[in-house]
Amino acid sequence: MDLGSDNASTLLEDYAQSVSELTFNSRPIIDNLTTIAQENPANADGILNIITNRIYKAIPDQKLYALYLLDSICKTAGNPYNILVGDDIFKLFSHVFQLGNETIRNTLSSKLFESWKVTKVRGNFPLFPREQLDKIKTFLDKAGYPKKNGNGNSPDLSNMTLIEDTNSLIAVFQSRLQSHPDAKLSDRFNALQELKKLLLSQQMKPAELKAVQAQLNTIKEQDNNHNSNINTPMPTPATTPAATPGASRVEPVKNEADTLFQALLLYGLVKVDQDPIPGSKPDYSIVLPKIKYQIPKGDLSNSALQDILTANLHSSIHRSEYEKIKFGELQVVSKQIASDLQGFLNNNKPRISDLNFLYDAKSSKCALCGKRFSTDTDGATKKRLHLDWHFRINKKLSSSTSNVQSRNWYLDDYDWVNFKDDALLEFSTSETGETKDAGIVAKTNKVAFVAVPANDSNMNNRCIICRESVKATYNDELGEWCWFNCVRAPGEGKNSRKIMHASCAVESSKKRGAEDEVNGLKKQKV
Amino acid sequence: MSIPGFGAEAQVYSETGSKGLVEVAIPEGSEWRIEVPHKTILKFKVTEGVAEIFGTELPINVELQISGTKTMVYAPIIYETFKNKTVMSNESEEIVEYLSNDSVMANYINLHLVVEAMRQQVSDNNILNPTELQSGPRVLIVGNGNSGKTSLAKLLSAYAIKSDSTPVLVNLNPRDGVFSLPGSLTATPISDSLDVESANGWGFTTTSGSLFHNPKQPIVKNYGFVDVNENLDLYKYQVSKLGVTVLSRLEEDIACRNGGVIIDTPALGIKDFTVIENIVSDFEVNLIVVLGNERLMIDLKKRFKHKSALQIVKVPKSEGLVEVDEAFIRRTQEESIKEYFNGNYKTRLSPFKTDIDVNDHTIYKCVLSSDVNSALSFLPAEPSSSNLDNSILAITQLPSTHKSGRELLNTSILGYVHVSKFDDAKGKIKVLLPFPGGFPRNMLISTNIGFNE
Ligand SMILES: [Zn+2]
Ligand SMILES: [Zn+2]
Repeated sequence: MDLGSDNASTLLEDYAQSVSELTFNSRPIIDNLTTIAQENPANADGILNIITNRIYKAIPDQKLYALYLLDSICKTAGNPYNILVGDDIFKLFSHVFQLGNETIRNTLSSKLFESWKVTKVRGNFPLFPREQLDKIKTFLDKAGYPKKNGNGNSPDLSNMTLIEDTNSLIAVFQSRLQSHPDAKLSDRFNALQELKKLLLSQQMKPAELKAVQAQLNTIKEQDNNHNSNINTPMPTPATTPAATPGASRVEPVKNEADTLFQALLLYGLVKVDQDPIPGSKPDYSIVLPKIKYQIPKGDLSNSALQDILTANLHSSIHRSEYEKIKFGELQVVSKQIASDLQGFLNNNKPRISDLNFLYDAKSSKCALCGKRFSTDTDGATKKRLHLDWHFRINKKLSSSTSNVQSRNWYLDDYDWVNFKDDALLEFSTSETGETKDAGIVAKTNKVAFVAVPANDSNMNNRCIICRESVKATYNDELGEWCWFNCVRAPGEGKNSRKIMHASCAVESSKKRGAEDEVNGLKKQKV
Repeated sequence: MSIPGFGAEAQVYSETGSKGLVEVAIPEGSEWRIEVPHKTILKFKVTEGVAEIFGTELPINVELQISGTKTMVYAPIIYETFKNKTVMSNESEEIVEYLSNDSVMANYINLHLVVEAMRQQVSDNNILNPTELQSGPRVLIVGNGNSGKTSLAKLLSAYAIKSDSTPVLVNLNPRDGVFSLPGSLTATPISDSLDVESANGWGFTTTSGSLFHNPKQPIVKNYGFVDVNENLDLYKYQVSKLGVTVLSRLEEDIACRNGGVIIDTPALGIKDFTVIENIVSDFEVNLIVVLGNERLMIDLKKRFKHKSALQIVKVPKSEGLVEVDEAFIRRTQEESIKEYFNGNYKTRLSPFKTDIDVNDHTIYKCVLSSDVNSALSFLPAEPSSSNLDNSILAITQLPSTHKSGRELLNTSILGYVHVSKFDDAKGKIKVLLPFPGGFPRNMLISTNIGFNE
């Protein structure tokens, strides 16, 4: 088999030559090399050697393109390539990841790896061994990828990355326009150009970037699905920065373009003005992002798009286990009411499975008051604080003397607007019930205590009615020594030490005629 | 004494009742409807399953007492195999109680799901777009008298709490004192469970001591009458003032902002459209819920056609609603006044009795729109035993140095006092204050709310 082995060595030499030309993300080269690999399974070992060598030896920025080639071959040709390289895939992936820059890392973690998890090859086999994929997952988790933060903005998600995405779609339009000139198409092409200008000229908000990205991703995903039926799914160069327009594939892309355009219209990023005359030419214009991105209400022709959009946008919000369940159940409701609110109210039959967030997801019920708590960390902490609070209250209520109480005055508008109800709840962190209560009343100066006069150093005092001794305690929040549960005797001034228990005051006012108490009130008249 | 001790006149029914414990099994999705007259107490406890009173879930094996109420205990459809059992300590001919599976609760739960889904979208937006905050749904409940508006408001509030949301409950029906006395218009963030045992089933505001349920903190505007038609201009004015304050709170408080607003109203029909229109704009309402009145919904849809952001829906009214007569309403009002000063069987409050000199205070009265002067103004009242005895005075927040009556319109209420006796000769007023100590302010408004023992 000299001829064969000669042929093989020539083939591999040529192949190595072509692979070394992968210094940029070239779709034609990758497509070509994929085809050659597919047609020469007998040389799989040799071809894989060349590619893995290239991955290890190339300068960091170019390793990714060789990895794309490997990805393309494994997905398109499948067996034997994916089997042979399977056990090394973690090593290869982590190598490229570790030496790659931030953009490469994000692409690897959020796009390439994501596609590996879901791609199946002929016979419904996974692309790479489960155990290798798990290793990659653990590795990425440790590295903290794919990156997310509370603002819903991946660090790599910027105007720039979206401009690159938009560029690749513009290229697609451009080539279509060249082969099939069409006025409608050209309008849309212009709209995309405008979007690019917009992205170039204005810093967009995280949510807006997310929205645009989500739309672009949807198109790509549909693109992938579409292709997988005929050919190969791959994290195509369309998802990576298409450095040169020429690298984009020239294929019919009517659906993608239409979808993108419809999406832009739908989400208000492109506005259409059309005279109400049949056949009049619509006028498309870009809407600047002062228009808030919102999930549209009403009929939605593309609910898959909405799902992806919603999921993308909302996945970055940190939620407790309970909040995740609640979110999921309410998402279902949102979708139903978007099309027919009244119909939902009339006809929906609430089932246990729709109401977990009211019952089962809060399965831990307080035996004393019936309040429900979730069993996640958040809920467990709350329940503990809640039971502590019951305990404190019950202890207080059982000693009848310490719980003589009266209704507080209401707040004025200013204090109410700035009031936080946390102060009323058992979850507020620091203080005991007493200081909490005092804090509330102190806010409005309607207080069940008397502050020890500033020039007075004697903290011991007596109730003028029952003669029981009263000791001042220091209150952190007030920053003062106070005789608690006492009021100043009517008619006494600020520096008076004449105090009485609030409860004694009540008792005495019932017994005595109130003549002498009135005197105190005159002071208040100005 | 003008207000006798609370416990003295209420009778625990077990003392006169004849039958023993009665067990009631409430099938899932059914209601146990109960009518308990005033002065009669129904003691009961849930022994098994899940049972709610207008959305507030009841604890298991904890005895509860209710009195002077027409209410229902609902068993949500949760566990197909569980029995929801309630044990009632006594049965009397005075207490009407029966089971019904003719429940509209499914529709009301759907409504909560809708409102909660709206809150979810808003709170997500407020995390993602912290510079462009939105507010949760502002829900206005309208309908005829006796259509169950307050019950629905209670239910939406209770389910909101169950869903970890904090809506602001606005009561625009001066007939009911919600966290306050009749004659008031109030707004209250619902930050914790409601107290089903309290006089009107809402619960307590803050006190100087400890309560079984966390208290609520309302803002209180005075209207002074129980009927909105007594002075419609004043009513509308106070509603708009309350609206400003509530919307300001939403600006300052992210929990309330996400929770939105739930607005209960007096009986309003299409003839009161200007009132409804005012409320919609004062509170930036974006969802009107019409209770059991198809016609009203259609009319409102027509009239609000221009408001594209305003959604209008209807939900059926409960067949279990029983007509409440004037006497019953009056008694309920008295109970909430009593509870304001004296508390209830679980939480006793100590009010403070004192005398004040009429010359140290300025008392204004609310005018009827039929009075000659501008309907909005308050007139200085000439205090006399005939117009003050056994009445409620509202203490305004205006500082004691304040001289003019003009700003009475723009102030809120610090609290209420009850006048037991005005001594014309001495110029002394015998009053009951909720809180011990000196009389805090001297600008008062006499209300049309009377209270006799
Ligand atoms: Zn509890
Ligand atoms: Zn004492």
